[in-house]
Amino acid sequence: MDVDGGSTSSDSTRVRSIPIHSGQCKAFLSQFKQQSLPACKPVLTPAWVIATLLLLGFVFIPIGLVTLHASRGVLEIVDRYDADCVPEEFKGNKASYIKDTSVPKNCTRILKVHKYMKAPIYIYYQLDNYYQNHRRYVKSRSDQQLLHGLKYNDTSSCKPEESNNGLPVVPCGLIAWSLFNDTYTFIRGTAELRVNRKNIAWKSDRDHKFGKHVYPFNFQNGTLIGGGKLDPNIPLGDQEDLIVWMRTSALPSFRKIYGRIEEDLEADDVIVVHLMNNYNTYSFGGKKKLVISTSSWLGGRNDFLGVAYIFVGSSAIILSLVFLLLHVKNPRPYGDTAYLSWNRKGISS
Amino acid sequence: MSGGWERVRSTRSRLSRDVSLTGRSSTSRTVRLGRVQPQAPGHRTIHCNDREANFPVRFKGNSISTTKYNFFTFLPKGLFEQFRRVANCYFLFISILSMTPISPVNPITNVAPLSLVLLVSLIKEAFEDWKRFQNDMVINNSPVEVLQDQKWETVPWKKLQVGDIIRVKQDGFFPADLLLLAGTNPDGVCYVETANLDGETNLKIRKALERTWDYLTPEKAAEFKGEVQCEQPNNSLYTFTGNLIIQKQTLPLSPNQLLLRGCSLRNTEYIVGAVIFTGQETKVMMNSMNVPSKRSTLERKLDKLILTLFGSLFFMCLIGAIASGIFINRKYHYLGLDEGAPTEFNPNNRFGVAALTLFTLITLYSTIIPISLYVSIEMIKFIQCTQFINKDLHMYHAETNTAALARTSNLNEELGQVEYIFSDKTGTLTRNLMEFFKCSIGGEVYGCGITEIERGGALRSGINVQEVHKSVSAIHEKGFNFDDSRLMRGAWRNEPDPDTCKEFFRCLAICHTVLPEGDESPEKITYQAASPDEAALVTAAKNFGFFFYRRTPTMIYVRESHVEKMGKIQDVAYEILNVLEFNSTRKRQSVVCRYPDGRLVLYCKGADTVIYERLADGNDDLKKITRGHLEQFGSAGLRTLCLAYRDLSPEIYESWNEKFIQAKSSLRDREKKLDEVAELIEKELILIGSTAIEDKLQEGVPGCIETLSRAGIKIWVLTGDKMETAINIAYACNLINNEMKQFIISSETDAIREVENRGDQVEIARFIKEEVKKELKTCLEEAQHCLNTVYGPKLALVIDGKCLMYALDPSLRVMLLNLSLNCSSVVCCRVSPLQKAQVTSLVKKGARKITLSIGDGANDVSMIQAAHIGVGISGLEGMQAVMASDFAIAQFRYLADLLLVHGRWSYLRICKVITYFFYKNLTFTLTQFWFTFHTGFSGQRFYDDWFQSLYNVIFTALPVIMVGLFDKDVSASLSKKYPQLYKEGIRNVFFKWRVVGTWACFSVYQSLIFYSFVTISSAGGKNSSGKVFGLWDVSTMAFTCVVITVNLRLLMICNSITRWHYISVGGSILAWFIFIFVYSIFRENVFFVIYVLMSTFYFYVTILLVPIVALLGDFIYQGVQRWFFPYDYQIVQEIHRHEPDDNSRAGLLEIENRLTPQEERSYAIAQLPRELSKHTGFAFDSPGYESFFAAQLGIYAPQKAWDVARRASVRSRPTTSKKN
Repeated sequence: MDVDGGSTSSDSTRVRSIPIHSGQCKAFLSQFKQQSLPACKPVLTPAWVIATLLLLGFVFIPIGLVTLHASRGVLEIVDRYDADCVPEEFKGNKASYIKDTSVPKNCTRILKVHKYMKAPIYIYYQLDNYYQNHRRYVKSRSDQQLLHGLKYNDTSSCKPEESNNGLPVVPCGLIAWSLFNDTYTFIRGTAELRVNRKNIAWKSDRDHKFGKHVYPFNFQNGTLIGGGKLDPNIPLGDQEDLIVWMRTSALPSFRKIYGRIEEDLEADDVIVVHLMNNYNTYSFGGKKKLVISTSSWLGGRNDFLGVAYIFVGSSAIILSLVFLLLHVKNPRPYGDTAYLSWNRKGISS
Repeated sequence: MSGGWERVRSTRSRLSRDVSLTGRSSTSRTVRLGRVQPQAPGHRTIHCNDREANFPVRFKGNSISTTKYNFFTFLPKGLFEQFRRVANCYFLFISILSMTPISPVNPITNVAPLSLVLLVSLIKEAFEDWKRFQNDMVINNSPVEVLQDQKWETVPWKKLQVGDIIRVKQDGFFPADLLLLAGTNPDGVCYVETANLDGETNLKIRKALERTWDYLTPEKAAEFKGEVQCEQPNNSLYTFTGNLIIQKQTLPLSPNQLLLRGCSLRNTEYIVGAVIFTGQETKVMMNSMNVPSKRSTLERKLDKLILTLFGSLFFMCLIGAIASGIFINRKYHYLGLDEGAPTEFNPNNRFGVAALTLFTLITLYSTIIPISLYVSIEMIKFIQCTQFINKDLHMYHAETNTAALARTSNLNEELGQVEYIFSDKTGTLTRNLMEFFKCSIGGEVYGCGITEIERGGALRSGINVQEVHKSVSAIHEKGFNFDDSRLMRGAWRNEPDPDTCKEFFRCLAICHTVLPEGDESPEKITYQAASPDEAALVTAAKNFGFFFYRRTPTMIYVRESHVEKMGKIQDVAYEILNVLEFNSTRKRQSVVCRYPDGRLVLYCKGADTVIYERLADGNDDLKKITRGHLEQFGSAGLRTLCLAYRDLSPEIYESWNEKFIQAKSSLRDREKKLDEVAELIEKELILIGSTAIEDKLQEGVPGCIETLSRAGIKIWVLTGDKMETAINIAYACNLINNEMKQFIISSETDAIREVENRGDQVEIARFIKEEVKKELKTCLEEAQHCLNTVYGPKLALVIDGKCLMYALDPSLRVMLLNLSLNCSSVVCCRVSPLQKAQVTSLVKKGARKITLSIGDGANDVSMIQAAHIGVGISGLEGMQAVMASDFAIAQFRYLADLLLVHGRWSYLRICKVITYFFYKNLTFTLTQFWFTFHTGFSGQRFYDDWFQSLYNVIFTALPVIMVGLFDKDVSASLSKKYPQLYKEGIRNVFFKWRVVGTWACFSVYQSLIFYSFVTISSAGGKNSSGKVFGLWDVSTMAFTCVVITVNLRLLMICNSITRWHYISVGGSILAWFIFIFVYSIFRENVFFVIYVLMSTFYFYVTILLVPIVALLGDFIYQGVQRWFFPYDYQIVQEIHRHEPDDNSRAGLLEIENRLTPQEERSYAIAQLPRELSKHTGFAFDSPGYESFFAAQLGIYAPQKAWDVARRASVRSRPTTSKKN
C-alpha cells in the first residue's frame, strides 16, 4: 500500500496505509478534493478595463493602418457588362437573347487605366445573385470521379447531371455542367495583352482533387447545355478554369479568377476588352462583372479588415477615454462595503 | 468476511428492487416505502435438517442479486433508460431524419454525438452495475458452515437452503434469517450487532428456546428434526410469529429467536441455527426499495430553457422553410430544376418544398439543443458530491469519525437556493448526549449546575450569572454532570429522608434495560443502552454508590456502597421477575424485582403525566412540590422522568403474574394484552422523585443558526417537545430573542381546557378551530402592521401541534402560510411526524420556496422526504434518517458549510455551465442560421459534418467541466464570513430569464460578427497570387474563430482560473487545429483548406480581429456591470482582493473546524474503503428498523414516522407493527 509515503517531510504525519503515487500527485488530489487548487482570480477593475481598451486601441490601429494601406495599394477596375452587352432589340427580353444561339454574343468593352498597375494583374469575373452555395448545387458533384474518372462509377451524388444517354458524364454534376463560359481578350493599343490562364487554381486542388489522367467524357452532350464545354483531350487536372469554378463560393456574390496579365499597365492606358457574353445570368437577374486588379500581400482589394481594425481600435480608445473620465470624475470606491446589497437597503430583507 | 458486506455508498441509493411479497401468494405487489405489507394468508412449513422434505416446496435459494441488468438485458434495458430522457429521444429523431435524403448533413453529424453520449452513460451504468455484481458475488460466495453428515461443512452462502442447520462463529455475519437453536453462552443467549441494519453499535440479546439449547455439537444437531411453522416472508423487521414443533410439542416463536441476515454475532463463541428465510426472502432484502428520486428546481427550470430553445429552433426553421418555398424558382437554371426535380426542390410544389425544408433545417440547426449538457452536468455533479462534499475536511467530524455523505448527486445546486430550513430539535440542535443534571428526591431539589438555557435566559433578563465553581471532587463523565455535596460520596445519608434517597437510587439501578459491558469495576464498565437517557440514569446510580455491574436474564447485581456505614460495600442480587416495557403509548417502564430478603417491589419510571395518574392517594404536598420541580426543570430545558415504586404482597403478585404469563404467550394481540395486564399492577404507586437530564446543544449550533439566518434562510424548529422546552431551545439557539415580536398560538389556554374538560369531541374540535382562526387573524393583522413600519421588529411564531392540526385545515392554511412566511423564525412544538411533513409541504407547495429538512431520528423521516432536500444527521440515534435523506452530515453546524460553501458554489457553477452551454450552442447555430439566408434557404450546411458533430463533444466539452468543478467566486471562509452572499442563490439571480436573455443577446452579436466579418472579408483574391476562397475555406475560417472565441469566452466567466482551465481551454483549441490538420488531408470537400488558409496573411489578420471583436462586447458588458451594478460577490472579491489566497493555510485556520494531524489521520482512515463498510453493508434502504431491537428489550421505541406519513398518503388504517 505504502508506495513512497515518506518522500517528503509532511508525509510522515500521514497515514501509511493510504495509497500514494507521488507526493505531488497526492498534494494535487488533496487540493482538488478540498477545492483549494492554486488559482488566479482576475478582478475586472476599471483600471483593467481602461488599460485593456487602451492597449487594444494602440495595437489595433497600427494593424488596421497597415492592412488598409495594403488594401488601398491595390488598384481595381470593375466593369459591369451584362446589361450593356445586350443588343438594343433584346433589352426587353434578355433571356431570349442569351438563349438564342443565332445571335452573336461578342461584345466590346473599353476600360481606362487610371493609375499605373504593376504586373501581375489579375482578371476576375464576378457574378452576383448566383447561388453557388445552394444545397442542391453544392452536393451535385463527385469528388471521387473528378480524381478517378470513369474508374469510379458511382455518380449518384451528381443528380440530376450524372449521366447522359445511359453513359456517365465526366465531370458529372450541376457544378461542372454550369461552368462559366464567358471569355475575354484584352487589347492595349494594337497589341493583344497576353492572358496567362495557368496557375490560377490552388495547387492542392490541381494536384490532388482533379485527376491527371481523367479526361472529360460525354460532357455537355445532353439536351440541355448548361455552360462551358471542356476540351476532351486535356485532363481535368489541367483544366484550371473548371477547377476554379468547382471550388464553390461561400456567398451568392462572388469573384473567380479568370487569368493573369503579366505586363504592367501604364496610367491612361485604354484597354479594349473583346468578350464573348455566353453565360446566362439573365434568366435569374444576376450581374456579371469583369474585374482587373493588382494584388498585395493581403490579396485583392478589400478595405473591410483595415476599416474594421481601425474602427474597433479607435472605438476602444474612445471608450477607454470615456471610462477614464467617468472613473476620475465619479470613482466607485473599490471594495466598499456600502455597495453590498444588504448594506444598501438599510435592512436586509 | 467483512469484505462481503462492503458496498459502495453511492450504489446503495440506486438499488431498485421490486420485491415480491412472497413467492406464491401475491407476486405482483411491490414493497412500498416502509409500509409493512399485510401478511399473506397461510404460513410456511419448514422441515429442519431435512432437505428432501423441503424439496417439494421449492424455497428460494440464498443467492442474492442487486444488479439492475444482466448480460442480455443490459443493452435493451440500458438503452431504454437512456431514451427516457427527452433530449436523447430528440437526438434519436434527428439522427433518423439525417439518414434521409432531405438532410443537409451526413447522419454522422447527429449520430456521433448521440452515440458518444449514450456510450458514456452506458459505460457509467455498466460500471455501477458491475460493482454491484461483484459485491453480490462476494456476498454469495462467503463461506458458512452447514451441518452435513454430522459434520460442519463449509459451503458458500448461495448454496444454503431453507431448513439447513448452520453454525455461525463469533463476529460472523448471519447468511440468512435464522432460527436460533443454541449458543455457547449459558442460558441460550447470544449477542448480535445490528450496525448493518440501523447503524447502532450497541449489542442486542437473542435467546434460544430452552428446549433447543442442547443442539450445539454436530452430533447433537444432526438429531434435531424440528418442524417450523411460521409466517410467510415479509418485510416487517420487528415481527415474527411462528411455532416450532418438536417431538409433537408446539413451542411459540418470537423475534427473540430470530437472527436476521446482515447482523453479526458478538460476545458468543458460536451459535447454531436453522435457516428460515433465504436470499431475497430475508427480511432485510424485502425491505430494500427504490428511493424516490428528487430533481432539483434548477433542473426543472432548465427543462423550460430547453423548451424555449425548441421553440426558437422551430421558429428559425419556420422562417427558413417559408422563405425556401418562396425562393425556389426555375429561373435558377443552374440548379437543374426541371420537371424531374425531387419534391424538396420542385418549384411547382412550393408547399412541399417548405415542408421538407423544415425538416432539413431541423436537422441542420439541431446543434441548438446542447446534447452533451445533461451528461456534462451529471458528471460535474457526481464529482462535486463524491469528491468535494464527501471529502471536505471542514465537514468531517473527528470524534465520531464521520464525513459528510451526499447520497444523491441530483441536488447539489439546490443546496445553494434553500430558503427554509425545518429542523428537528433532539439530536439535531441538541446533542442527544444525555447527562444526569439534577434531581428531586422527596420534595428536595439536588444538583447545582446551571444549564446553557438558564444562562441564556439570565443573560436576556440582564442578570449576570456567576459561574458556580464545581467542587474539586465533582465527577463529570459521559452521562453524568451532577454536583451536589449533599448527595455525593454517601452524604445522602445525612439528608432528611435517606430512605427515599435509597429507593430513588435503587430505582435508578434496577429499573432499566441496560447491558453492562467490560470489566466489572466502576471505572471501566460501559453501559449499552438503546436510549442515552437510560445510560445516564444508570451512570448516575453508579456515582451515587449503587453500581449496577452484572445482568443475567433473571438477575441484576448491584454493588451498593455506603448502605449502612461509610466504606462498606455490599453486593446485592435482585431477582428480576417481570419487565414491563417502555413504549410510546405507555410512556413508562416498570420492573418487578425481589430483594434477597424476599421483599417484592415494583419500580416504575416514566413521564410525569402517566406516573401522576397512577399514584396512590395521599401525600399531596410531595406531589405538588415535585410537580413544581418538574416545571422548573422543564423550563431549564431539561428532560424529566418521574420515579415511583410500589411494594407488592406475594399474593397480589402471584395472581397478577399468572395473567401476565398468559398474555405473554398469547399469539394474537400480544402487545395489547400485555399493556392491559401491566395496567393492573402499575397503580397505587408511591412517588419517589424525579430526574432531570440535560440535553445539551450541539456544538456550534447558535453560531450556525445565526450565520444561516444572516444568509436569508429562515429556520423553523419542529419538535415533539413541550412548548416551554421548545421556546427555551429556540432562545438558546438565537432563533428567538427579546427584540422579536412573538406570536404564540397554544392550545393550553384556559378556555380550551375548559371545553376539553366537558369532553364533547365535536365541540372541542369546533371550539379549537374557532380559537385558532381568531388567533391567526389577530396575529396576521399585527404582523402586517409590524411589516409596514420601517424598522419594525422581526417576528416569531410559536404554535403547538394541536393548534397546528386545525391551522393546517384548508380553510385556514392560507392564513397560516401568510403569517408564517412573514416570520423570521417559527417554532412548532408537540407536533407529530406527520405534521412535520405537512408543515414542510405547506411551505414547499404553498409558498413555492425551496425547503430543507434536517433531522436525525425516525420521526423526521417523513419530513426529510417531504422537503426538497432532506439532510440526515449521521449521529447517535440510528441511521433511519440518514437512509431517507439526500445528504448526511455529522453535526448541525456543518449545514453552514454544506449550504453556504458547497451549495452556493454548486449553484453558481451549474448556472454558469448551463448558461455557457446555452450560449455556445446558440452562437454556433446562429452562424449557421445567418448563412441560410445566403443560400437561397436551401439548408446548405455552413460547416463540414464533422466540425459540427465534434463541436459539442470535443472542441468545447472539457473547459466547461472545469468551470463546473473549479470555479469559485469567493473562498470558502469568505462564503461563511459573508453569509448574505447566499441570498443571490435564494433570489436565483444567476439563472433568471434576464441572465439567459443577456447571454442570448451576446450570442446573436457574436454570431453576427463571426458570420459577417468572415464572409465580408473573404471576398476577392486572398493571397498575393490572387487566388480565391471557396465555401469550405470560409467556413473553416469561421469555425476556427468560433472555437477560439467560445473557449476564450469561458475564461472570461471564470472567477478563479487554475492551471487546468488553461490546459483545457488551450487543449480544446489545439485539439481543433490538430483535428483539422489531419482531417483536411483525408476529406475531399475540405481538402487542404487549413493549409490553404494558413498560407495567407488574411488568416492571421482575421483570426486576431474576429475573436477580439466578438469578445469586446462581453468584455465591456462585464466591465460596466461590475463597475456600476456589482453583484455582492464581486464587492467581496474586491474587499479581499489583495489578501493572499486562503487555499493553503487560511482555509484551515477557522477555529471551529480546524483539524489536527491526528484528526486528518483519522479522517484519512475513515476514507479507506475498508472502513466504509461499517454502516453500509446492506443492500437496502429502509427507515424501518428503528428500535426493532430496542423493542425487544422493552426500550422506548419512537412512533414510526413512515407509518404516519403513509397513513396520510394511503388514507387507510396502517398495520402497526407489533412490538414484542
